[in-house]
Amino acid sequence: MGKKDEVSKQFLDALEFRGIKRRDFLKYCGATAALIGLSELYGPKIAAALEKAAKRQPVIWLNFASDSGCTESFIKATYPSPAEVILDILSVDYNETIQAAAGKQAEEILAASRKAGGYILIVEGGVPTKKGHGMIGNKEMLDVLKEMAGPAIAVIAIGSCATDGGVPAAKPNPSQIIGTGEALQRVGISKPLVNMDLCPVNPQYLVGVVVNFLLLGKIPDLDSQGRPKMFYGQTIHDNCERRAHFDAGRFVEKFGSQEEALGYCLYKMGCKGPMTYSACPKIQYNDRTSWCIKAGGPCIGCAERGWTDKFAGFYEPLPGVKIPGLGGVEAGADKLGAIAAVATAAGIAVHAVATAASGRTKGKDGGKK
Amino acid sequence: MKEELVKDWSLGYILDHWIRVVAIAVLVFTGIYIHTPFIAGGPDSTIMASMRFFHFVAAYTVVLGLVVRVYMAFKSTFDADWKDFSIIENLKNVPDVLAYYLFIKGSHKDYRKYNPLQAFAYLFTGIVIIFTAFTGAAIYHGRPFLIFPMESFRWVNNLLGGESYTRIWHILAMWYFIVFLLIHVYLAITVSMINKDRTLTSIFTGYKLKKH
Ligand code: SF4
Ligand code: SF4
Repeated sequence: MGKKDEVSKQFLDALEFRGIKRRDFLKYCGATAALIGLSELYGPKIAAALEKAAKRQPVIWLNFASDSGCTESFIKATYPSPAEVILDILSVDYNETIQAAAGKQAEEILAASRKAGGYILIVEGGVPTKKGHGMIGNKEMLDVLKEMAGPAIAVIAIGSCATDGGVPAAKPNPSQIIGTGEALQRVGISKPLVNMDLCPVNPQYLVGVVVNFLLLGKIPDLDSQGRPKMFYGQTIHDNCERRAHFDAGRFVEKFGSQEEALGYCLYKMGCKGPMTYSACPKIQYNDRTSWCIKAGGPCIGCAERGWTDKFAGFYEPLPGVKIPGLGGVEAGADKLGAIAAVATAAGIAVHAVATAASGRTKGKDGGKK
Repeated sequence: MKEELVKDWSLGYILDHWIRVVAIAVLVFTGIYIHTPFIAGGPDSTIMASMRFFHFVAAYTVVLGLVVRVYMAFKSTFDADWKDFSIIENLKNVPDVLAYYLFIKGSHKDYRKYNPLQAFAYLFTGIVIIFTAFTGAAIYHGRPFLIFPMESFRWVNNLLGGESYTRIWHILAMWYFIVFLLIHVYLAITVSMINKDRTLTSIFTGYKLKKH
């Protein structure tokens, strides 16, 4: 590795000043390399790329319809984490939730960035398409997105709201909220787009994508829904720490029970881990402190497209289905099947009685002509 | 009128039928367990892992059984019956059989092996087996038959609107087999009683009574 791949002492001093030890930072860069599928030897390269980026890669972070939970998940670490610093040093020129600027001043920053172009556009939150349901500085959010996506080099939609509407787009979706991908299509902009479904997004995922971009100059490999394969390639269930309990048939049946205290599998509490693709068990939240299942709650499937509607309710294994012909009446698939089987049995009974009454069984020649 | 025993099913057809029956019974039982585990495991239990294992073994059996059945339909030296499943031919005859089943007519035409409704039911069952195999492969996430790559059936989830819906369809397919079984057994019994031709036992013995 050449000289230019090394991190300058000045940069490391600056980190030290922010409370990050040099060793921790390099270790973190190594772990990030592993995260995006590179050898840990790439650690120093990543550190160098980050240092360079610190000086030039502008980022614009737009907040649309959401509870800003994704922003929260970055800034709520108890001490400044390397991830936080990395995202900090990426000159984030505009982020409504955490920037000091407001009003006219904020608008000016946005206008200047738009003119300069070449930034990474991070979108948090869904885009309301009903007029007047979501405005920033007197502009429809859809128009803000259109304006800002144009000059961007890539768009990263973070969190379920940004990918396809998420919670604010749940039924009946009064503001007709859509995801970034659909919104861009609507305004006729085509840009490299990375989707990261999760509620909130895992900061590590964003770091992984950004580092991948800085190091290799491109967005990572995406799956059929435009999500980085490295984070959305396997199910929660396949990497879950409670999987052994699942295979052994040891399940929590009730919260507050002995089984729950023993940390049994949460499948019967409606865990969506078996049908949710995300690296949550491996990467975890809050600097690898914990994650949903480790904390004792079933996975609610927030990394899946169509969450929440398609994965409701949180403690039910499967959503209800509309019974055809009964206008809006919902039932579980099991109930629906059982109803069909009982109806069949009843039909058979009626037919059997009719057959006996018709005297068919008494005839010699049978039904054939 | 003369009666004689005629071979209606070769050993191949009989085995194919019963292997399918056993496999589907295993699939329904293990499937219900996998969906709603009704037996709790102890410290050294592997119950869920075993249920899943037998579910997969039975699933492969049903899929291979279908392949064998289709092969026999075209290539069986005993009775290649693919022509009996002709959709257009059978559609024409549906009113005839339906009228008989609904007691509008007292008798129906004589069909070679399957009456049109029967042929449709079997054809549809084959399609449901394929559908269940695809949804099952999507839920499985692994490498079906070891020849498909991991996760290669994820598109089924996208098609059906998310994996929760794939699972719902998979469960509804199970109920189709249960409903099919009820009707199938009922009709086999009544037809035997009405025609007195040993239809019911023919799937064990291979022989049916034919009247001339
Ligand atoms: S808790 Fe959920 S993800 Fe973990 S093993 Fe059980 S069902 Fe799978
Ligand atoms: S474990 Fe499930 S509910 Fe929790 S963050 Fe991951 S995908 Fe969402």
